[in-house]
Amino acid sequence: MVWQREDKSAYENFLEKHKAILVFFMFLFVCLSIRLFYFQIIKGNKYRDISEQQRIHNTHERAPRGIIYSADNLPFAENKFTYVALYHPYERHLRPSEQIIQELNKILGREIKPTVDKNWRYGRVIKLADNLSMEEMFKLQEKKLSLKGVAVAKEPSRVYCFPEVISHIIGYTSEVRSDEIDNLAEHGYKMGDYIGRGGIEQTYDQYLQGKDGGWQIEVNARGYQVKAFKYIAPEVGASVYSTVDLKLQQVAYDALNNSDTGLGAAVVLDAKTGAVKALASCPGFDINTVGNREFSKYLKDKRLPLFNRALQALYPPGSIFKIITFAAAVDILNIDPSETVECTGSFELGDRHYVCWNKLGHGKMDIISATARSCNIYFYQLGLRLGVRNLEKYAKKFCLGQKTGIDLPNEKTGFVPNPEWKKTKMKMPWLQGDTVIFSIGQGALWSTPLQMAYMMSVVANKGVHRKPYIVDRVVDSGDNEVYKHELELVDELKLSDSSWTLLHKALLETVENGTGRRCKLPGIKVAGKTGTAQNPQGKDHAWFVSYAPADNPELVMAIIVEHGGGGGINAITSSGLSAGA
Amino acid sequence: MASGIGLVGLLLLTSINYQYYKYLSKFVYILSLALLISVLILGSVKRGTKGWFDFGFISFQPVEIAKIMFILALSAFLDLKAKEVKKWYFLLSAFTILTGHLILIMIQPDFSSTLSYFPVTLILLFIIGVNQFYLGCIVVLGGFAIGIPLAKTFLNTQMKFLESEIVHTNILNFLQTDWGEFYIIAAILVLIIGIWWFFWKLRIKIPIVYTIVLCAAIIIGCLASISVEKSLKDYQRKRLVAFLNPKVDSRGSGYNIIQSKIAIGSGKFMGKGFKKGTQTQLGFLPEQHTDFIFSVIGEEGGWILSQLTLLLYFLFIWRALVIAKESRDRYGSLVATGLATMFTFYVVINVGMAMGMMPVTGMPLPILSYGGSSIFSSLCAIGILCSIRMRRHTYVK
Repeated sequence: MVWQREDKSAYENFLEKHKAILVFFMFLFVCLSIRLFYFQIIKGNKYRDISEQQRIHNTHERAPRGIIYSADNLPFAENKFTYVALYHPYERHLRPSEQIIQELNKILGREIKPTVDKNWRYGRVIKLADNLSMEEMFKLQEKKLSLKGVAVAKEPSRVYCFPEVISHIIGYTSEVRSDEIDNLAEHGYKMGDYIGRGGIEQTYDQYLQGKDGGWQIEVNARGYQVKAFKYIAPEVGASVYSTVDLKLQQVAYDALNNSDTGLGAAVVLDAKTGAVKALASCPGFDINTVGNREFSKYLKDKRLPLFNRALQALYPPGSIFKIITFAAAVDILNIDPSETVECTGSFELGDRHYVCWNKLGHGKMDIISATARSCNIYFYQLGLRLGVRNLEKYAKKFCLGQKTGIDLPNEKTGFVPNPEWKKTKMKMPWLQGDTVIFSIGQGALWSTPLQMAYMMSVVANKGVHRKPYIVDRVVDSGDNEVYKHELELVDELKLSDSSWTLLHKALLETVENGTGRRCKLPGIKVAGKTGTAQNPQGKDHAWFVSYAPADNPELVMAIIVEHGGGGGINAITSSGLSAGA
Repeated sequence: MASGIGLVGLLLLTSINYQYYKYLSKFVYILSLALLISVLILGSVKRGTKGWFDFGFISFQPVEIAKIMFILALSAFLDLKAKEVKKWYFLLSAFTILTGHLILIMIQPDFSSTLSYFPVTLILLFIIGVNQFYLGCIVVLGGFAIGIPLAKTFLNTQMKFLESEIVHTNILNFLQTDWGEFYIIAAILVLIIGIWWFFWKLRIKIPIVYTIVLCAAIIIGCLASISVEKSLKDYQRKRLVAFLNPKVDSRGSGYNIIQSKIAIGSGKFMGKGFKKGTQTQLGFLPEQHTDFIFSVIGEEGGWILSQLTLLLYFLFIWRALVIAKESRDRYGSLVATGLATMFTFYVVINVGMAMGMMPVTGMPLPILSYGGSSIFSSLCAIGILCSIRMRRHTYVK
């Protein structure tokens, strides 16, 4: 075929070009096909995911946290439900329109300023108003059509029943901070979640957290709901049953609060198991105010109400340490109970003078009367005979300078000194004088009230270490026990039976006739030891540790009143406590 | 409605001997100019473009039909002057014909329609046998004229995106200055002359006139770029370069591209099913009836249907080229090739745009896109193709 009225060569020329064009067009279409194949077959899954993601929004309904109970099944921490007005901001509308805000203000009679802060993430709702009354809630529901994007939801919030008394045991909850989210994200926390801080709320957070629910909704490109797929009901967190006896806790807290200074801590443990029956630190704070403006007053308070003295305050154990010196001496030196030492009220070592608290001297002392009267001179000499190494060894055997391992956060370790430490830190050699004051619990010896209670429980149990614990069991919403504390033998201090008997006798004597006289109770035999922790900043701290009943110990306790003066002042406190028992 | 009128047009044009257009070519060209002028006077404004005749019940975009008339007129001119193809004024007069249309359309202004004129003109000139080097120079010229302002815009948007990367910003800052631009162009010119000189030394004689023409084309292109830069609004430029990196402006000019890619990709092999595309039905994908119709096919029909669509388009264009090959005279061949080029250009730009390979211009997908004028003109073009095909064995005395 040729073009009419044209040269054949012209047509052939055309055919050549024609072929080139055909090839060129074919090339273009092949390019398009390759790209199409790449998108739909190779990258198809990725794009399908993206399209699903931008179509489906999950609205959040926060799950209520689990309830925390006392040992006698009274709730410490509960949830209350309030209605809140929420706005679902989507792609193009970060805030509700002026019209909607005005209408809301009219219905609720409040000034609403919706804020979108920089922490806002895609899909999160903005809270417009909280604490709505039922009436307001219904009014908003009626106007639902005109209030586009506004929803009313039930939101749980935490309430604490005995806020000040239990403040340090329970802790509080607050929103996850943006500087924490990176670490917490791998444990499944999101921005906006509440997390427990301090106390049981923190240690058992993973149980207390419920499973958040919400609606899975389909939205269109403008972010409005097209239809709802499914509703997942939020699941309440597991209930935590603590071992704390509310009555005892209340008595302990009140007693501390009514003491001279109102500063101090008390720890009551179950002698057999190590369960915490009470753990009070005074002053406490109202945990219901956390997050309010009111809370700031606690931050400014010089008395440090946020500080959990029972676990975090370090005091020198003072004369209480004599119990450890006693145990070491009986074990190593095989002290004869009838052996006596003359106390003249002072003691010379080299060119230094060490005095007994009773400047007149106690006269002839055997080991039991020395303990009962808390004679320093007697124990100075015991300490010197034992040497610093033995004192350190036994202090550690009674768990000083180590964490007890209680299931509460931020426990302090305390400190037991030794010659190496003094050499490296103070650049001074260990002196005999250091051993002398070590033996009566002064010097660089630091311990927490909990550690003292623990030490006493070891004494009461004749050397058996039971880890202190505050949560007995955790039961989830389906009534399954998901956690149960198991008694474990952490350690055992082996002393001869006669040694224990001697120590027990001495401690009983202390309360019956010695420095702890004022803690004597009618009907119950109490064994204990008073102590005075020297305090360079003011009046001495007063210690009292005890267990009762003396012949078959059930409770162990340790109390400290800051600046309480001589050990005897605790009498009021302890009598109250024991009454509670 | 439009397809009804279009079908009538198709049958009518099929029955008319296409050769009449050749003899009436001057009339056809003047008529097309008249259409374009009258739309400037009488037309109504839609989306910032004064390009529609609004009859109340139907509105019509004369550019669409003017394009076909232009192909008819240009082909007639080329056919007539085919013997003078080597003459210097040949190219010039061909481009004068083009410029008449371009100016009128730029006044509207309808940037994407002007773009579609270039490939058709170039391919027709190529077929008629214009020296390919000159055509190349024209492409270079056009490339510089449009490329420079777009490159600037692209670098600009990129710079905002890359704020932290110091090395990049330093280079970009240098390019941003007027002199930086000047240096680059000077370097390119020197390079071209250097290469020519190198070949000259190797005794490969390339006439110096080629070098001069190429350099001239570059310089003119740069000069033209200034006027192009002024005529394009900022948002238009952004839209044209957005496909290179849609993430830079994901809420603005890149939004369409991102959503379109998601739509096509999420269709996977089988598609989501008719009317079940979430991108489409929930309104994530904008302009889904017109510019982004292919994305809808991709999402709801999957790879099978979209590949089939491409294949059908290719078959259609291939048929048009076969018609061009078997036409009884040169005029028929030119017209058929021109129309085939027009369709190819539409399909490639539209589908490429939907897949993020091409700039977003308002190119319709022939026949599938919703839009009366586009469908009408496509059917008319098919009518002309049929007319050429029908008369391939008819001999003129």
